[in-house]
This record gives sequence, C-alpha cells and structure tokens, in this order.
Amino acid sequence: MALLGQTVICGLLLGGMYALIAIGMTLIMGVMKIINLAHGSLVMVGMYVTYVCYRAWGLDPYLGMLVAMPVLFLLGCVIQHFLINRLLEVESVLPENQVLLTVGISLVLTEVIRFIFKSDYRSIATPYTGEALLVGGMSISIAMAVGFVIAMVFTYLLHLFLTRTDLGRAIRATAQDREAAQYMGVDARRVTVITFGLGSALAAAGGSLLLPLFYLWPDIGHLFTAKAFIITILGGMGSTTGALLGGLTLGVAESLGATYIGMGYKDVVGLVIFLLVLLFLPHGLRSLVRR
Amino acid sequence: MREKYWLWVLLVGLAIGGLLVAGCAAKGPQTVKVGVILPLTGSEAMFGAMEKNSFLMAYEELKAAGKTNIKGKEIELLFEDDQGKQDVAKAAAEKLVNQDKVVMLSGGYTSSCTKVIAGSAQSMGIPFLIVTGSADDITRSGWQWVFRGTAAPASKYTGALWDMMEKVIKPQRVALIYENTDFGTSSANAFRKACEVRGIKIVFDQAYEHGALDFKPMLANMKQTNPDVVFAVSYVMDAAMIVKQMKELDLNTNLVIGGGAGYTMPEFRENAGDASEYVTSVSLWVPNVAWPGAKEYFEKYKQKYGSEPDYHGAQAYATMYIIADVLGRAQDLTPEGIRKALKETNLTTIMGPIKFEDWEGFTNQSRPTTYVVQWLKGKLEVVWPENVASARYVFPVPRWKERG
Amino acid sequence: MHRYRIWAAVALALLALALPFIFNSPYYQHMLILILIWAALGTAWNLLGGYCGQVSFGHAAFFGLGAYSAGLLYLHLGASPWWGMALGPVVATLVSIPIGLICFRLRGPYFALAMLALGEIFRLVFLNWISFTNGPRGILMVAARPGKILFYYLALAILGLALWWSYLLIKSKFGYYFVSIREDQDAAEALGIPTTRYKLYALLPSAFLTGLVGAFYMNYVAFIEPNVVFSLGNVSVMIILVVILGGVATLWGPTVGAAMYIALGELFRAQLGAANVLAFGVLVCLVILFLPNGVVGEVDLFKRLMGGKRRGDVGGSLGSP
Repeated sequence: MALLGQTVICGLLLGGMYALIAIGMTLIMGVMKIINLAHGSLVMVGMYVTYVCYRAWGLDPYLGMLVAMPVLFLLGCVIQHFLINRLLEVESVLPENQVLLTVGISLVLTEVIRFIFKSDYRSIATPYTGEALLVGGMSISIAMAVGFVIAMVFTYLLHLFLTRTDLGRAIRATAQDREAAQYMGVDARRVTVITFGLGSALAAAGGSLLLPLFYLWPDIGHLFTAKAFIITILGGMGSTTGALLGGLTLGVAESLGATYIGMGYKDVVGLVIFLLVLLFLPHGLRSLVRR
Repeated sequence: MREKYWLWVLLVGLAIGGLLVAGCAAKGPQTVKVGVILPLTGSEAMFGAMEKNSFLMAYEELKAAGKTNIKGKEIELLFEDDQGKQDVAKAAAEKLVNQDKVVMLSGGYTSSCTKVIAGSAQSMGIPFLIVTGSADDITRSGWQWVFRGTAAPASKYTGALWDMMEKVIKPQRVALIYENTDFGTSSANAFRKACEVRGIKIVFDQAYEHGALDFKPMLANMKQTNPDVVFAVSYVMDAAMIVKQMKELDLNTNLVIGGGAGYTMPEFRENAGDASEYVTSVSLWVPNVAWPGAKEYFEKYKQKYGSEPDYHGAQAYATMYIIADVLGRAQDLTPEGIRKALKETNLTTIMGPIKFEDWEGFTNQSRPTTYVVQWLKGKLEVVWPENVASARYVFPVPRWKERG
Repeated sequence: MHRYRIWAAVALALLALALPFIFNSPYYQHMLILILIWAALGTAWNLLGGYCGQVSFGHAAFFGLGAYSAGLLYLHLGASPWWGMALGPVVATLVSIPIGLICFRLRGPYFALAMLALGEIFRLVFLNWISFTNGPRGILMVAARPGKILFYYLALAILGLALWWSYLLIKSKFGYYFVSIREDQDAAEALGIPTTRYKLYALLPSAFLTGLVGAFYMNYVAFIEPNVVFSLGNVSVMIILVVILGGVATLWGPTVGAAMYIALGELFRAQLGAANVLAFGVLVCLVILFLPNGVVGEVDLFKRLMGGKRRGDVGGSLGSP
C-alpha cells in the first residue's frame, strides 16, 4: 500500500510541474496551430537564466523565476514577431515549415547556450534540496511539493487571466477562430506575439521550479519537448484545465508504469496512453469531464 | 523576388566553393598527422571538450620535451567533431584518412561512434587507438587495426571490486540497477554472471532510461526487496538523482556501489551534496592513484581550464603520451609500421601500464587496473586494493538518520 | 520541349553514373552515398507528406524496421544482411498498414504527433527488448564488405526507384487525388475520393522505400542501435528538414535538399569546429524564412513569376512543373 501511495504521490507532484511547461505549449498550439519543437529549448534557456541569478547574486531559484519569466517573455515575443509571424504571411505548400523553423530555432538556442556555458553539467544546492518529509512510509520531497503548489497557483492565475481579462478573451477567441476574431477587431498579430511570450514565460517558470530538483546542461530541452506534446494532446489543444489534467495523468501513468512494469518502459506507458487518447478522445481528456 | 534569387545563388555558390576549399587542404610544412575524433557538440560534448583539452595539454608538454618531433617532422593533431552521431563519425574517419592523410586515428567517446570508427579503420587498414569507447565487442571482433589501451572493456570495470566483495563486503542480497545503454547493459551482464558464480542472490534487477527526473518509483520498489548492497551503473547526473532520492526515501543499505562513470565525477558530488557521502564506486583512475604524473595532471588541468578533470580526461592525456611514444618508436610511418610499434608498446602512463595484448577473446586490449573508491568527507579516496589505498574504507555505512 | 527533357534526363543519369569516378576518393564517395540515402528517404517521405499532406514525424519507425530486419537476420540466423534488403521493405510495408489505418483517422497536427509517438514507441521497445534485439548494445556486423562503388550504385538504384515511383504516381490519377486530399480533405471526400484508402496508397510505397533505405543503411554502416535508427531528432525530423529545404511536393526537391543538408553540414563540420551546429541552425532558419517552399519550390515559383509557362501538373499548390 505504501508503495502504491508513494508511486501516486511522486506521479502527481511531477505531473504538476510537467503541466506548467505544457500549459505554455498548449497556449501556443491552441492559438497558432503550430507544433513548437523549440519549447524544450525555451525551458532550458529559462533554467539557465535562473541559474545565472543564483550564481551571480545568490538569488533563490523561486525568486530567480521572477527574473527568468520576463526575460523569456521578451525572448518569446522576439521569436514570434521577427521569425514565426513572418512565415505565417507567406503562402506555402505545407504549413509544417513553421515546425522546421522551430527546429532551427531550437538548434540555435542550444548551441548559443553551449557557447556561453560550455556543455558542463550544472546544478545548484539550496538548503531544501534533498530534504523530504516522511509520512507513513511515504516520502514527499520538499522542493517537489513547493514546485507543485507554485505550479498550481500559476495555473489558476492563468485561468483567471484567460477568462476575466480582455486580452485573455482575445487570446481565446483567436484560438477558437482566428478569422472571426479578426472581424471582431482583435489584432491577431499582437495576440500571437503575446501568446508566444506568455507560453515561453510559463516554460521558464516550469524550468525554474525543476532546477533545485534536477540539473542543467544545454541539451536538456529535448526531455521536455516530447512530454509537453503528449500533455497538450492529452488535455486538448488550447485548454489550461486540460493541460493540468493531462500533466497529472501523464505523471501518474509514468510513475505507475515505472513501479509495476519497469523503469525502462515508463515512457512507453505515457506514449500508449497518448495514442489511445488521440484515437478515442480526439478532444483530449477534457471531453471526458464535459460529458 | 530578386533578393530570394540571390540568396539561392549564394547558397549554391557557398556549397560548391566550400567543397572545393575542403578538398584542397592548404599545404603547410611536412607534419605527421594524427586524427582525433571526439564529440565536440551534442549531449556528450562536455566529455569531448575535456578530452580535447587533455590531448592539447599533453601535446604541449611533449612538445616542450622535444618528443613531438618524429624524424624531423612535427606531430600535428587534427580534431574532428562526431556530434555523437555515427554517420558523422564515419564521415570524419573517412575524411581524416583519405583527405588529410593521417597516419593513425584516435578518439572515440560513445560506444556507438567508436564501433563505427573502428569498423572504418579496420576496413581502411589504419591503426585506431581508442580513448574511451568501452563496449566489449569493439576489441572482441578480432580487428587487428584497433587498439584499446586506456579504456577497459565494460565488463571488466569491476576487477578490484570483486576482490573487496569477497574479503570485506560479503553481500547476501544485491540490487542491480543500470542505464539501458551499451555500457550499462554490458556491465550488468558481467555483474550478473559474477554473482551467479559466487552464489550471491540478486533480489532486484532493473534497467532505466537515462535522463529520468524521478527514480522514486523504482527505488521504492527496490526498498521492498530489502537489499544489503546496491550496485548501480549510471551516467553522471542520473547517479546524483539516484542517491539523493535514496536519501529522501530513507532507503538504507550496507553500501551503495557505483559501476564506474557517474559515481566518481565532481559534478556528482556537487549535485548530490551530502547524499554522496560514503557512496562507493569502481573506477579506472582517480587523481591520487600511485601512477607517476597523475596528481600533477589533475592539478595542472584544474589550474589551466578552471574545472576538475575526471578519468575521461586522464584517458585522453595518457593516450597522447602513447601516441608520441608509438610514433617515436615506429620503424617507418606507414600504417603497418605504426601497427607494429603499437603492438610492442610497454609504457607506464597516468592510467597505469599500457601493453596491447590478446586475452580472453580480446585483441589488442590492455589489461585494466581497476580501483574501488569511496566518497569520504567530500573527497574521493581510493579504498581498494588495500596496498594503494589513500584512506580506510567505511563499511557498513551509517544509516541516513544516524548521519549528522 | 519534350525532347529537351529526355536529353536532360539522359545527361543527368550519365552524370550520376560517372560521379564516383569524378570524385575518386572514398571520403567524397561516402558523402555521395549519404546524399543518396537522404535523397531517397526524402523522396519517400515526400509522397506521403508533400503530395498527400500527411506530415509524418515518425518515419524513423520504418527506417529502423528496415535496418533491424537486416540486422536481426544477421544476428539470429547468421544470414547475410543483404537478405535484409528483401525483407526490410516488406516488414516496413506490412507494419505501415495497421499504422495507417489507425492514424489516418487523425488530421493535421494530431496525425503528426501520433506518428511521432509511434516512432518513439518503436525506439523504446527495441531498446528494452534485449533478448530479441540485443537492446542498446546494437548489432555490429563483423564481415568483409565490398568497396564504396558498389554501395554507391546500389544507393543510386534505390533513389532511382523512389523517383520513378514518385513520377508514376504523381502523373497518374493518384497524384491528383493526393493533392486534393492535402488541399481540402472534406472537399475531396465530398467528391467521392475514399481518402483513407488513398492516404494508404501514399503511405505504402513511402514505407516500402524507407524500409529499403533502412536495410541498405545497415549493410553500409554495419552497426545499428535503437537510439540511432529510431531517432526522432536525427532521423524523423531530419527527413522533413531535407524535404522542406529542397522543396515540398516537387520531384527533385528532396534530392536537392539532401545534397544541401549533407554537403553544407559536412562543410560546416569540417571547417567551423564546435560552431558547426550553430551555423547549420542559422542556415535552416534563413532558408525557411526566405525560401519557405524550399529551393526547388522557389525556383519554380520564380520561373512562373518571370512569365514562364503554366503547366497542368500536380505539385505545390502554387503550381510547379
């Protein structure tokens, strides 16, 4: 029983942080309908910003996050404004060339970071790293629990932003039907720029929360890109609650797979669930809740 | 439209021009060229860079001692990036041999790239001296052009450990976890066989994929099987995650033994913090081994490049010394002449004595000297074999809650 | 006009046959073989992704299956991996049928991601099923192998086959159906085109050719492991990159793209040291920004804008010869 409990708790906590990264992607995919293969690299850049804040000024990663988010917001806006939006205007045979552009961007970001920081593994040691609460034979990592709570707060704030503010409504309108939104006077270009910025900032937040738990090197981004996709599809594109649900599901599924099937197959479990959802619930887990 | 047209012309021009440039390498003074293929970009670039630095450092020392001059010609090192991809490694090997006319190849970090380079070297008849790639099959394929000196076959990393196991640790119930890479599975296979021979029971046996964030499900499972010793083969940072999470889970054993690589690196200590204390590992090299020059290499590297090298750097450093020694002794600088000189090598390097021998199905494989090391008060100390130990081992290790 | 085209084709074929003797160095021959490999992969992908519009992020699955068919024959039966060239494409095609029937229900990014997941599942299964596949230790072939010239002509034959099939398909009604599915699937369905079946007609030759190249790759490189041949980043995505660099839905686009990808990639690697991947990434961004339809696609567009002829062939939505 303790084993099952431990497994589920680990999955939930990790899933919460996955969800934060995936919410950034779901926003971008929802509004722009593009697959952003550079998302993991944005997480990586966010982690490096937090790392620099820690090393240079001794800022705790949870405070460094407040620096990393605006920096990545700007970076996201720049990428969208000068690169991706340019491509949206040209007529092309396959819209998927945007995907390849994000591959190029991700290569450039990774290699620029490698140039500055070399390929060394880096990590930070906070007082709470490696501390854990033991409750009834189950261990709960402090850093993970804090990360989970912050991730939930961000998700809630984002939900409020999207439902209560004009800008948030404009983003949702653009995601639903870009042309209709434009007829209603929404500046779709501006909305895409802000959305990409917002998505990048959330990716940075996710990265910062993982930093005290994990470690950092320039190629770390690949780990997150695939997870963010799976969660986005699990949750349904453009849905924050969906992404939250998707993140928690993926986290728990991987954990259960690791415990009861084998650590090597844990990613297979996630991918199979992903395929099943794609096939049988094309609008994601969200559609289960709605029914 | 015009600007697009020009961009297109520019691209084609660039491609053609560049290929021509690449083809006609500038003719400088006569040198003896040695090709070194390492991952300088991609996820293994950290080790590639460390090995390149060590090569260059050894080269400078040799040059100062006048040992890089072979019959009036200077040795020249040509570094090529394999990006950790095997097609690229093959291309680099072909280029070095056919375009740059190197007399021999060296390098090889990942097992997959090393295999491809070795295969190419064998079919081209060019000597290849491996630095790191440790998969068993590389020197078990009967390839007479492939030499491995500074790296042990993955299944032979544990030599000194078994001695210590029999005399000190005497395990009853062992848990085995390993990364699902070539190195991990080869080490695990060898470990399983060794346990079987000695009648040691393996109570938990699992592979995991490198780069996981959360090892707790696996470790919680392991905890239930109640092992007294854990043997783990992990990459650098996975190693740190595993011991940290063992601490979080309050998973107590008599000893945690790492199967080389990850558990001996400075980054492991940095990330794992306190949790790294008393972790034991097998190792091919530590700065304070008895071989002459080891300590000096470590200090000099640290001073020059601002970071601590590990055994990968030492492998590259020692390899450069072997290369200079071999080229100096070779009768002539043909592939056959160099191969003969390699075969006759008998040199003591900072990695220990190097002799390319044929044994247990291996060809041109130096017999490795292995150590058991333990993290004691934040320093990596040699604890076995006892005659070269720099500190006394701690066994069994204190439980997590008993530590201050 | 027609005669001119035939002569051009003959000249091109002769040039292709003579190339390994013009570049009479094993290094250049290796580059040429790599170009042919990627050109064939790109041409195969283009059938499904370019003409039919079903962007697959999982072609590594077929590539890996082809390579492992050859490798496993060698590993378990001791058979020459050349037999894999016969088995590999068949296995890839057979596996592609259920994959297609399942995934073609999905559209756009959903299809792309489903294929991505499938490719990854294959990689993980081959990695963990150690007793059958030898897992991460891969399959190393230790045997004397023929020289590069033979491999070159074999690869050339595979590319020729891929181009020939593509040409036949896109000239026939299949080609028109493919493009109509890409441009507007609902309209195509309304016109009575059985879209799933026609998507499958694009997938089958695509998977067959990709599997064939995979088996060839095992023979040529003589070592495979799951992380290499089932790679998402280094196989699946790079195939798409090759096609988009050259020109989506053009016959020669993938070949041009492969030549650029290999030649520029190698040039940067040999000349720029550790900055090579950065330079390549910048180049990819520039090409996609300024030539969004690829080199061949943009040249076609350029010709048309310059008052060239308009032809009724299928191709890019912007019209191409």
